[in-house]
Amino acid sequence: MKPSRLLLPLTLLPCAALAQHTSNWAVLVSTSRFWFNYRHLANVLSMYRTVKRLGIPDSQIILMLSDDIACNPRNAFPGTVYNNADRALDLYGDNIEVDYRGYEVTVENFIRLLTDRVAPDTPRSKRLLTDDRSNIFIYMTGHGGNEFLKFQDAEEISAFDIADAFEQMWEKKRYHEMLFMVDTCQANTMYSKFYSPNILATGSSKLDESSYSHHADNDVGVAVIDRYTYYNLEFLENEVKTASSSRSTMKDLFDSYDTEKIHSTPGVRTDLFRRDLSETLITDFFGNVQNVELEGEAGGSWNEDLLELSRLAVNFTVPRRNGTCGGGAVREERPQKVVRREGAVRIVEEEGWNRNAVGVGALLACAAAWVAGSALSAL
Amino acid sequence: MRLPTLPWSTGSFLSLLLLPLALVSAEEHSSYDENLLLRTLPGNSVLASFRFVSNGTFNSHHSVFPRSLAQILQHSQTKELHLKFTLGRWDAERWGSQIWDGRTAGGTGVELWAWVEAGSDAEADARWTTLNNALSGLFCASLNFIDSTRTIRPVMSFQPDGHHAEDIKERLHLLHGTLPREPVCTENLTPFLKLLPCKGKAGISSLLDGHKLFDAKWQSMSIDVTPVCEEIDGVEKCQLQMVQTVDMVLDVERSLRKKDSVIPRPPHLDQMICDPNKFYSGSDSCFPLDDISDLSWSLSEMFGRPIRGSCPLASLPTSQSINVCANVPDQRAIYVSAGGTEVGRGDNIRCFILEENTDFDIILPDQSPAILLPNIEPPLYASRSFTGHGQERGGVQAVLRNPSPDRHVEFVYLESLPWFMKPYLHTFSATLDPPIETQWEEKIIQEIYYRPALDRRRGTQLEARMRIPPNSTVLVTYDFDKAVLRYTEYPPDANRGFDIAPAIISILAPRNSQTIFSIRTTSLLLSLPTPDFSMPYNVIILTSTVMALAFGTVFNLLVRRFVGADESVRMNPVQVLKVKIMAAVKRIKAKRERSGKAELAKKNE
Repeated sequence: MKPSRLLLPLTLLPCAALAQHTSNWAVLVSTSRFWFNYRHLANVLSMYRTVKRLGIPDSQIILMLSDDIACNPRNAFPGTVYNNADRALDLYGDNIEVDYRGYEVTVENFIRLLTDRVAPDTPRSKRLLTDDRSNIFIYMTGHGGNEFLKFQDAEEISAFDIADAFEQMWEKKRYHEMLFMVDTCQANTMYSKFYSPNILATGSSKLDESSYSHHADNDVGVAVIDRYTYYNLEFLENEVKTASSSRSTMKDLFDSYDTEKIHSTPGVRTDLFRRDLSETLITDFFGNVQNVELEGEAGGSWNEDLLELSRLAVNFTVPRRNGTCGGGAVREERPQKVVRREGAVRIVEEEGWNRNAVGVGALLACAAAWVAGSALSAL
Repeated sequence: MRLPTLPWSTGSFLSLLLLPLALVSAEEHSSYDENLLLRTLPGNSVLASFRFVSNGTFNSHHSVFPRSLAQILQHSQTKELHLKFTLGRWDAERWGSQIWDGRTAGGTGVELWAWVEAGSDAEADARWTTLNNALSGLFCASLNFIDSTRTIRPVMSFQPDGHHAEDIKERLHLLHGTLPREPVCTENLTPFLKLLPCKGKAGISSLLDGHKLFDAKWQSMSIDVTPVCEEIDGVEKCQLQMVQTVDMVLDVERSLRKKDSVIPRPPHLDQMICDPNKFYSGSDSCFPLDDISDLSWSLSEMFGRPIRGSCPLASLPTSQSINVCANVPDQRAIYVSAGGTEVGRGDNIRCFILEENTDFDIILPDQSPAILLPNIEPPLYASRSFTGHGQERGGVQAVLRNPSPDRHVEFVYLESLPWFMKPYLHTFSATLDPPIETQWEEKIIQEIYYRPALDRRRGTQLEARMRIPPNSTVLVTYDFDKAVLRYTEYPPDANRGFDIAPAIISILAPRNSQTIFSIRTTSLLLSLPTPDFSMPYNVIILTSTVMALAFGTVFNLLVRRFVGADESVRMNPVQVLKVKIMAAVKRIKAKRERSGKAELAKKNE
């Protein structure tokens, strides 16, 4: 009895370690094209501003903007996107990095991004380089319906696709915990098919319910933000001032949802999430934390690391540096003959009767063969 | 490096402006210089041309030459790179010759060309893909869409600007790609500014603000990386030189209006200048005349802020290093704030050196009537448009005019067409308009290089060297067929049309066939036969209905036996008797039940 009681705290230790995450990532997706969907881009850019404000760097934010709204010819405010008719805050700002834009925002690219099955040349800024200690915040907005979300007004992602992509991420140890937030019509159906652990999901409206826009700006000419996102932002702006000082929890956020104001019924799915919402800080997903995790036992392991490092150092070969112009630099011996097959050819207009003569000759030859053939068969 | 020739009367001072570029390469391994040229254009427009020059090597620690770009170039074996982001149209009829001889500006959207070192075409293609993908990550643009269908290998239009050793030159592959549909916005400016040593915080780059840049009538951002070699004491020293330029034409009226109200609203009647010669001119009607006076403007009004001092990382201010030049008519007054020293005054040009940590502003008071700078005529005027009608056949017509009264102009006309636009080469022709009856018939098209398209694999490349006689107009025309795309190949906004890349016109020097001036036409919008995208669903529904009907009928025919009433099976008398008895029993049972129920009801009463 006694030894087992002693062991109990030890077996709990790894669980305590599991509760930590060491990096924060955000994937923010707007899926609608065309100017009249201004508000969806404003939604996403508001979230972009919030996560950036709370410390997640651009390198850890994947921003997918499905259309060019800021520099759209219809925009009376070039280079600007507002989420409020008071136009106090320019969401586009001076420092923005859009990772996927325009036609690049497709279902295929989104799923490839999540599961990291990308082309070999894909730059780092277009990849979700997460591990099993990364908390990911995924925000999607656009036009949707029962268990689907439209991309670019041309294709759809279904709730099953996302659920399977998340399961693949879990199998590949690509996340620690995930917050999935979606603002679209019948949004709550989007997370109904999830089956992977550690996912907290919330949506703007239940089945058969639309999500509505908050208000329009007459000078911009269209609605500028959706209600659900607007009230989320209101809470985040007022209650989460800085990432380090805020103790607000996800429960506080979800409790702040007011059906009267939002004009739809926001949903929360917690059955896959293992922690208590009242103990889950908002900054676990929206902010940037850098918890450091020390691996293994205190004694001995760093020696192994050192050994491994020195082994690496021995095998490390200094990459050959090519000269800037190849003038004085050492160059690899390569076959000097360059094979060029691709490329345009010079069109030469033929003059004279050569080609005509060849044509007539060919015709005559055919006629001769025919005459000869018929003569032979007559024999 | 070859400096752009300047066909301006103000050449002496502008060449002074360019001197630092030539001098820096002799300096230490890294140096940086920046300068700004402002020029008033007709119609209350101002051209602002920013130019930033950084030098460095791959090997040195990256003090001014950005490491992010250097690594990409090294990884993809790119020896020379030209990347352009352009929006709008340069109005040559009004604004005259393009700045920097059109070398810095690209076609609408994004244009990229590079010399990649490779042993074979396939290797060059692979490196080109690597380069495009890496640049797309760096500049937040969809450059990864430049695939084999949008890549061409021009033969005559481009020559490398930098110094390349002979053995490398043989292995260089020129690849060129365009994305005419690509929007240019703040996310492209952000990485552009991050490549600068002062990052837009100080120096002339502090004026660069997305809100103003993307409000311009025409704007172009370009990055040119070339190797520059110099022989010092018999040893050839090579460096990478990166020239970043931002050119824009700002509308003074619009920039100033932004302060009060962004949405354009008609001015009040008493603020308008009316044409009194119109018969309807009166107290309530007006034919507005163009405002002919030059409006007053300053840098801080136009750009939203003054220049925040000089960039401390730039080379030491010497008499050669000039930061800001204003190309303004001599008669027009210029006031400058503290923070700048006037260093030179020339023919219609005044130049200033900036001080560190001091704001600098230029103020031009209003001027009525307007004074214009002498117009500089470009060597060629070009415009291109679609002809033809219908969903199947189309045509392209380019109008090229040589304004020079006495000189021939020789140039290369390059078209890079998508595969779904299939030109007929035999219809490609160039005719003088109007046809001149002369005794010597001139041959306009001198040479053609052509590469036909392959469906879904590559586009058409058409390159023609032409020569236009003085003071004449040439019509270049060709016909093409429109392909029908597959259902999934249409973009989400297919009904908008498909952007066709601008034609590139490279004007050649009379002797050595080097490009001395570049012109881009505007892009074209091609409308292809576009299906109604809901049709497939209608078809699916209708087909399903037809299939269900057919299946149901066939199924019934297969599993049921249909017999006539008189052909039914004959029963023998015993069976008939049995059925009758059964029916009688059933009837009696039913009767009993009914009477039983009635009794029960009576009892209950």
